[in-house]
Amino acid sequence: MKISEVGESRIRGYLFVLERSLRTFLPREVVADAAREVESHIRERLDQIGPSPDERALVERVLRELGPPLKVAQAYSLEMTVDEAVATGRVTPMARAFLHAATTTVGGFLAAVLVLWGYVASAILFSAAVLELFRPRNVVLTFHYLVPVITFDYPEIPTAVDQGGYWVIPYALVCGLGILVATHRGARHWLTWWIERRRMMQLRLIDVAPEKNTVDMR
Amino acid sequence: MTLEGWQEQLRRGGLDLAILLAVARGPRYGLEIIRHLEEFTDLVITEGTVYPILGRLTAEGVLAAEWNASEGPHPRKYYRLTDSGRQRLALMASHWKEFIAKIARLMEAAGGERP
Repeated sequence: MKISEVGESRIRGYLFVLERSLRTFLPREVVADAAREVESHIRERLDQIGPSPDERALVERVLRELGPPLKVAQAYSLEMTVDEAVATGRVTPMARAFLHAATTTVGGFLAAVLVLWGYVASAILFSAAVLELFRPRNVVLTFHYLVPVITFDYPEIPTAVDQGGYWVIPYALVCGLGILVATHRGARHWLTWWIERRRMMQLRLIDVAPEKNTVDMR
Repeated sequence: MTLEGWQEQLRRGGLDLAILLAVARGPRYGLEIIRHLEEFTDLVITEGTVYPILGRLTAEGVLAAEWNASEGPHPRKYYRLTDSGRQRLALMASHWKEFIAKIARLMEAAGGERP
């Protein structure tokens, strides 16, 4: 079906927003493929429905059936990024999944902040262990009410308060590893719960979409 | 859980199986899969949510996807089951039948749909 320049422009606009949204969460080659598939779908649907005197309404109807580009992008992210993060626990998918969660819901944002805090805290503790090897007088283990606390300072902390010496290293490594493992496991559990919840909400949205009832697929 | 939530969980559980069944007899492209599902089921599906599921199943190695530019006026992305996809489909179908049979037995024991 031949589409006018105005109709083409509307389709290109939809695909542009979709691509931009997908790029936030997915690798470039996946984005290009997804956008190509969605474009193929739009043109196929327009061909199926056939020419109409009101081309604008026709294009809008096909795009409405497909869903807003941001929602489609979120569905992609949910199915591909979050699923991969839950299944593999790898760093890049985890980061993408939490970026998606943080930009989608308030709860997701708070969870992302908490998870980020956990990773940063473990990174700081690992850094303390490494720093102790090269700058032992800048990293000390002190005790506050019997709780061992690692302290950084610059310039050097007077030796009088240094009570840990090289015990900083195993203590920082154990604490850092503990926080890292707890954060990572917690993050994966949270994502598993969150993805199920989002899928439920998606199905609910699909179910109540009024325009769905007007679509003639055959 | 509300009745609505329970129905959604059922649908969600059946969606992957339904998509795999749609491509069981041969390759199909996205819109064809949607039409097939609409023809045989009352699973409510919108185009925008089917493609991400197809993408995930492809990433998992259950489906293989291939572009075909020679057939039809526009390039189409065809999906077919891989060997591991066939195995998974067989397992899912068997679990599904088993599950339905168990529930049917329970309902029978309870004296029909209304205990």
